[in-house]
Amino acid sequence: MFTTGSKLLFGASGASLVGTLLYGILVGGIMGTVGLVSLTTGLIFIAGINAFIRDANVASDDVSQFSGSAAAAPRPASSVWPLVVAVGGALIALGVVIHEVLTITGLVVVLAASAEWLLQGWAESASSDESHNSEVRGRLAYTAEMPVAAAIGLGLIVFMFSRVMLGVPTKASTIIAFSVVATIVLIAGAMISRARSMSAPRMFGLFAVVSAVLLAGGAVAGFNGEREIKEHKTTAYYAELDKCGEKEISADEHASQTVAGKANSSAEVTLDENGLSYTRPGLNMVQSGVIQLPRSNANNILFRNETSEPRRFIAEMANVDGSPARICTALVEEGGVQLLTVNYSAPSFDPVVEESGGYSFVVAGLDDRIEVIVP
Amino acid sequence: MAIIERPSDAVEVVDETTPSVATPESSYGVFRRPVETTGWKSWLFTIDHKKLGIMYGVVAMFFFVVGGIEALLLRLQLAGPNGTVLSADKYNQMFTMHATTMVFLFVMPMAAAFANYFVPLQIGARDVAFPRINAFGFWAFLFGGLFLNTSWFLGGGADGGWFMYAPNSSVAFSPSNGVDFWGLGLQITGIASLTGAINLIVTVINMRAPGMSLMKLPIFTWMVLVVQFLLLFAIPVITVALFMLMFQRSFDATFFSVEAGADPLLWQHLFWIFGHPEVYILVLPSFGIVSEILPVFSKKPLFGYPLVVFSGAAIGFVGWGVWAHHMFASGLGPISVAAFSVATMAIAIPTGVKIVNWTLTMWGGKLRFTVPMLYSVGVIVQFTIGGLSGVTHSVAPSDTQQTDTYYIVAHFHYVIFGGAVLGLFAGMYYWWPKMFGKMLNERLGRVNFWLTIIGMNLTFGPMHIVGLQGQPRRMYVWTENRAGDGFFNIGFWNLIASIGSFVLALGILLFFVNIYVSHRKGTEKAPLDPWDARSLEWITTNPPKEHNFDRLPEVGHLDEFFHRKYEDRGSDGHHEFHQIATAEEVVAEEENNADGHIHLPSPSYWPILLAFSLPIMAYGVIYNVFLVIGGAVLGLVSFYGWGLEPHTAPEDDYDPPTGTAMEVAAHG
Amino acid sequence: MSHEKVHYRTICNSERATSSLENMSSRLFRVATTVAGVAATTVLAGCASDAPQDTWKPAGPNAQKIQDLQWPIFLTAGIVGVIVMAFIAFCVVKYRDRGQAIPDQAHGKAWLEYLFIAIPAVILTAIAIPTVGVVMALNDTDDTECVINVTGQQWWWEYDYEVGADGTICGYAPSEVAASPIITSGQLVIPADTKVLLRGTSRDVIHSYWIPRLNGKRDMVPGRVHFLRLESDTPGIYAGQCTEFCGLSHANMRMETVVLESAHFQQWIDNELEPYQAPAEGGLAAEGETTFIAQCSRCHQVNGLVDPGNGNLVVSYPDQFVYSGAAPNLTNFLGRNTFAGATWDLLTPECRTDVWESSPEEFGDKYLAGVSQDCLNEIDLREWLRNAPAKKPMYADPAMLEQSDGKVRGMPYLGLSEDQIDQLIAYLLERK
Repeated sequence: MFTTGSKLLFGASGASLVGTLLYGILVGGIMGTVGLVSLTTGLIFIAGINAFIRDANVASDDVSQFSGSAAAAPRPASSVWPLVVAVGGALIALGVVIHEVLTITGLVVVLAASAEWLLQGWAESASSDESHNSEVRGRLAYTAEMPVAAAIGLGLIVFMFSRVMLGVPTKASTIIAFSVVATIVLIAGAMISRARSMSAPRMFGLFAVVSAVLLAGGAVAGFNGEREIKEHKTTAYYAELDKCGEKEISADEHASQTVAGKANSSAEVTLDENGLSYTRPGLNMVQSGVIQLPRSNANNILFRNETSEPRRFIAEMANVDGSPARICTALVEEGGVQLLTVNYSAPSFDPVVEESGGYSFVVAGLDDRIEVIVP
Repeated sequence: MAIIERPSDAVEVVDETTPSVATPESSYGVFRRPVETTGWKSWLFTIDHKKLGIMYGVVAMFFFVVGGIEALLLRLQLAGPNGTVLSADKYNQMFTMHATTMVFLFVMPMAAAFANYFVPLQIGARDVAFPRINAFGFWAFLFGGLFLNTSWFLGGGADGGWFMYAPNSSVAFSPSNGVDFWGLGLQITGIASLTGAINLIVTVINMRAPGMSLMKLPIFTWMVLVVQFLLLFAIPVITVALFMLMFQRSFDATFFSVEAGADPLLWQHLFWIFGHPEVYILVLPSFGIVSEILPVFSKKPLFGYPLVVFSGAAIGFVGWGVWAHHMFASGLGPISVAAFSVATMAIAIPTGVKIVNWTLTMWGGKLRFTVPMLYSVGVIVQFTIGGLSGVTHSVAPSDTQQTDTYYIVAHFHYVIFGGAVLGLFAGMYYWWPKMFGKMLNERLGRVNFWLTIIGMNLTFGPMHIVGLQGQPRRMYVWTENRAGDGFFNIGFWNLIASIGSFVLALGILLFFVNIYVSHRKGTEKAPLDPWDARSLEWITTNPPKEHNFDRLPEVGHLDEFFHRKYEDRGSDGHHEFHQIATAEEVVAEEENNADGHIHLPSPSYWPILLAFSLPIMAYGVIYNVFLVIGGAVLGLVSFYGWGLEPHTAPEDDYDPPTGTAMEVAAHG
Repeated sequence: MSHEKVHYRTICNSERATSSLENMSSRLFRVATTVAGVAATTVLAGCASDAPQDTWKPAGPNAQKIQDLQWPIFLTAGIVGVIVMAFIAFCVVKYRDRGQAIPDQAHGKAWLEYLFIAIPAVILTAIAIPTVGVVMALNDTDDTECVINVTGQQWWWEYDYEVGADGTICGYAPSEVAASPIITSGQLVIPADTKVLLRGTSRDVIHSYWIPRLNGKRDMVPGRVHFLRLESDTPGIYAGQCTEFCGLSHANMRMETVVLESAHFQQWIDNELEPYQAPAEGGLAAEGETTFIAQCSRCHQVNGLVDPGNGNLVVSYPDQFVYSGAAPNLTNFLGRNTFAGATWDLLTPECRTDVWESSPEEFGDKYLAGVSQDCLNEIDLREWLRNAPAKKPMYADPAMLEQSDGKVRGMPYLGLSEDQIDQLIAYLLERK
């Protein structure tokens, strides 16, 4: 049942498992345990796939094995992995001196390169047919390589880009975002139109340049740190502090002066030179003075400022203890519209509400008011 | 292990000159591929479109019975005023699950059953384009359906109606897990429908027999093709809606929370932009079946074939522009209402075209009233009634009086039962000998037909009256205070409808009796061509061989089989058709020129395993996130297994292995 | 009743129209028209029966517009249906296999196919034009004379009457100025011959307001405000039912619209706004008031009710106990004659028949009399007070309330004793 290759891998998995247990029990470092657990899991996964594909079946029914013995085997292809492992080793050593991040990177590089090396070696001796060998290597490795490479690549791009965006001022970041995308699209378009069949190395080169720029930019921005990001206060925050006044507050700077949903509001309140008036949908009539709204329900009130200066619309409410409370819109500029949602939990004839001065709609700095009756 | 004989006609003789290296086809898999051709394994792991078609049919019939029992309980409850058969809660669950079961677990999969079985046969192909995806689709549907129905045992079914309007579907208003089961179950069956749709579209477009241009495509296949495109675009919409519902309920999202500023009408738009095309998804396959059957028993080609095709496609297109007619009372505003009202009227035109063309197919024909023909005529009559009542509520003001009353219930049951279900029964009687090699008993079939027709008219006919008298839908009780009196009192007609539902149930029961009677020992084998049929699926044995056709047929006519049997010997514009060959002779001709190398894909474990991971993850969403991880691992393993597996099994999975002498020797 | 007269006349006209078709000699058409005649008679008979929610029996101009639009369409659909059926029957009989030769394998006739596209297209265009007109007309609210806010919640309707800028309610000036506007539930009272605009929304899920004899239905959607026009010139009670599935007790969410002529409506308004009258001291009703304050007033408001214990105005806060945030206002509870989502009668069956089926002239007085002790349907009311969720399925079971923040949906079981129920009924009998 066990093929040659799977024996090796199962053995390695077992050894790694034992190592993990021993290390975990005797030494018990987090990083080490995680690394060893990952190694074990990876080995078991590869062993499983290898068992599943029966070691690419260099099986007894394969006569070609006789002609494909070591002596007859073709020369192994060139390999980059020894070099990469060496670089990894160097990184580990450097990291000990400089920074532990380098050590970890080196460790990862060594592990990944060793796995690739192992795989390449195994695949090259799978059979005497080179194309078959590269195919079995692909079947085994791509399933892991592709997703991991894609995840790392995309992750890097996103991370580096986000560093750049967080590092530069807001306006600049928009410009950067669009110019980067535009540049990429333009360059890619230009190159494709010039050379319809671009050679792989040139394409690779292009990607390498773009990636390098991105990585460099990200690294610089990352070390530079994030810009200061301002926290925007909302009108609800100011309402809580009882600051629904005439003055401009910082929440007003960012308020939108248009409202999307206008069809189903409870009422549309307009402020013009004659003061406050309102219309209610379904009824073609301008009213003022008193408005009646249902209790315990969200009433969407649209406020439209038709005067020549910015105004704030306020709903006077009541707290349970009879003290007045108020909620407000942001400062509505000339001709602007804002929405205020009010929900009254007690009727207006409740003594508590009357004590607080009753429900009404007012505009900061003006005397005019609309009394709100809640049955 | 049992000795499994490899089907000799599936052998691919390995060329001696191939390089004798280990080929990928013989080098993968720890386990044997499940290559059995008999026994339970041959069904569980099959990727044969015919077996899958039969399984679709069996499971759909099972759910038909489940949905039918739910309907009978509903009618029992409503037979008299203040019914006490079901509690309010159970009643709400019952009508929700009745509709869900009938739509998603009976009519759609039953149509899928016919589509799976007959589309490859009708276009002269050996299987669908992606046989393993086909198997996956079936199992996903089955597991999704079972998952949905396990809610009955886990705290109660969904209780928000099949339309599941927000915000009534939120946790606060529906605290049991029923709606979760509903949403997740439909996502799973949605995956099944979507994969099936892609599969059949590719199959029809790429795998037609030589000579079969699109305008020579059998009409059933055409309608199935239109339906698959509808599914392709409609299922993603409902999936989005169901995702939102899942996040709303399970992960505290606020897509439909009014207090967070949401507009509940969003759900309605999403649901109906799926829900209206869904109606055509339900009826168009049956239209296709009826359009196959009428010409056969009229001995005439389908009248205006191109027009029937184009009207089907037109319904498919216009069907996307009428969804808001389900929302005339929702408060959309007069402009939208008027626009959708007119669009809805427009869709009546292509629908009317079909009815007229069916009738004109019979005109001047030579009509034989076999059971499939009876059912087909039944479809024309019953669907016409449903279509006309549909016109009355395409008129928006009139609809505001009728919507959400029993008048609508009557209307769509005439459309879906009268249009879709009767058509499916027509298909079953018509194709039974092809699928199982036995004829269903004609005499019992007639009783079956008439009981069904009488039952359905007794059940759904009175609902027109009850609805126009103002009885709303989805009420677990009705009261005598609102029943009125005289001939049209609601009580009397509710009782009639309840009685009718049992007549209908008896009619359906007879169908099962008929299956039993027709398959008893000693019943005769069906003749090769019992109906004197016209299309390609009959140019092969009953039931068809595993590889469908010995030789891929060449097609010269729309009704290829008819033209191989009959010849026009008239002259000068005068037609005189004479039989020149029997069906046996036509089939023998094909067998004698059988193809040498027939390549069939091998069965596989992975589709069923992958499908099985879906309900596990769904249970996880409801109960425990670790189940999601478990299901995902199974799914991932299945994905890899599927991806790594070659499409044909290696030689040594067969016992004894067959193949080249050298390989056998090597084993020895 | 003039609208009904119009209605019958138009139906009769249509019958004459169909008979004129009989001149056509075709056998097919004769069969068709005969059956169409039968269908028309059926339709007539349908109008003649008196189910209270009959959709073919308009009692106001809005429903009448719908009716005038829909009956010709039903008739057309019927005639088309009969023709198609006759055609199918003809084919089935005529072309049955009697050993005739195999027919020509022709694939169709172009002109015939175009014809059969053209015919339905023409019919549908003829239907579409008036449809669009009526849709627009029904949604025109410019000439509204009276606005009433309608709010749906599980499983009853609340109405509050908009007080206009001139202090009138629907143009009627109340004789006293009250602290709170009129707020009722279940039965909507509107003046006759007045163009009433319902401005509706919902506090929880979607409901639909539907009085079939006055207008089509309109969904009342939380977070949105929708409109529905009602108008009638005939005093009486018009029944309706929530028609958008709204959960457990959807079947028990009913409503009525009561149309009163002008003088009666004025009387009704004055009665609604009358100051609160405490029950006579020492009586059963006075005990009932105490019980009411202790057991019911957390959610149910009685306007003007003052707690004799401390002299404070009693204000209910249903939003603290009920998920939708509201409970019916009981100020004039027995002025209405149905309760619990208009599902059960407050009148005994005899009294109900007397009020509901009285002539339009007598109706107003009978309705305004409210529910007297003799007429009170104690059976249902007592059952309700004993255990409301047992009578009407509601989510009042604490085990089910976790998902709704511990708040009930509907009236919970209060564990009232029989004595308390006696007291409450005595108290409520004075609330009209």
